[in-house]
Amino acid sequence: MTAPALRSIAVGDEVTPLQRRVTQAEIDAYAEASGDHNPIHVDADFARAVGLPGTIAHGLLELGILAEAISRWAGGSARLGSLECRFSKPLQAGDTITCNGKVIAVDTGAGVATLEVEAQSDRGERVLTNGRASVRLAT
Amino acid sequence: MALAIGGPDGEFEPGAVPPTFAAVYCLAPTFAQLFTDPDVGINLAGLIHGEQTFEWPEPARGGDVVDASAEIVAVEEKRGMTFVTLAVEAVRQADQAVVCRGRSMMIVRGAAA
Repeated sequence: MTAPALRSIAVGDEVTPLQRRVTQAEIDAYAEASGDHNPIHVDADFARAVGLPGTIAHGLLELGILAEAISRWAGGSARLGSLECRFSKPLQAGDTITCNGKVIAVDTGAGVATLEVEAQSDRGERVLTNGRASVRLAT
Repeated sequence: MALAIGGPDGEFEPGAVPPTFAAVYCLAPTFAQLFTDPDVGINLAGLIHGEQTFEWPEPARGGDVVDASAEIVAVEEKRGMTFVTLAVEAVRQADQAVVCRGRSMMIVRGAAA
């Protein structure tokens, strides 16, 4: 992967949207990888008993997919300097998440681009909001 | 984790650590202490991740050994829920570089016992 050169990045540039269907198998794999076995993610009966429509993805799995989208655009995960968001709505097992980002500032001195980032589900819900990322660019 | 978040078309980066692997080396070991402490009395079933901020000043590499710490910086009761904010940090042992710094806002539905 090659990083976009700093001088080629402009305010308004968009990250190539990354779309992913998050199946229960992926959520199970993430539970194993992260060690977060909270039953709201892996046990549908339990999830419904606590008022959820069914099992939901880990917020950090969604954030990981968002980080992946930005990393691909930036030319590698080591270029991701920071990432933040609010987990506004749950992503249910089987839903498709679409991650987007847009450059809102470029600091040529520091070699850093700031992006507004977010994700929606195919239910039309904004699952990740108030998102910001900073990317270290090649000079 | 790279498989779970990278998806079927994920590109493998040799030596790279997925940024949100910080969930494992930074959040899991510290949060486990807090959320399983009977004195704290948090009901795991009611626990929701509300917001997350991560910074990676120096990217972690495969093989790094890090020390992670967390501190509760705010506890607020609102609308019958408890909002717990934690500041976390992971430092690489070899050179004491901060590889991850973050802030997690967790929501406990129903007041903490």
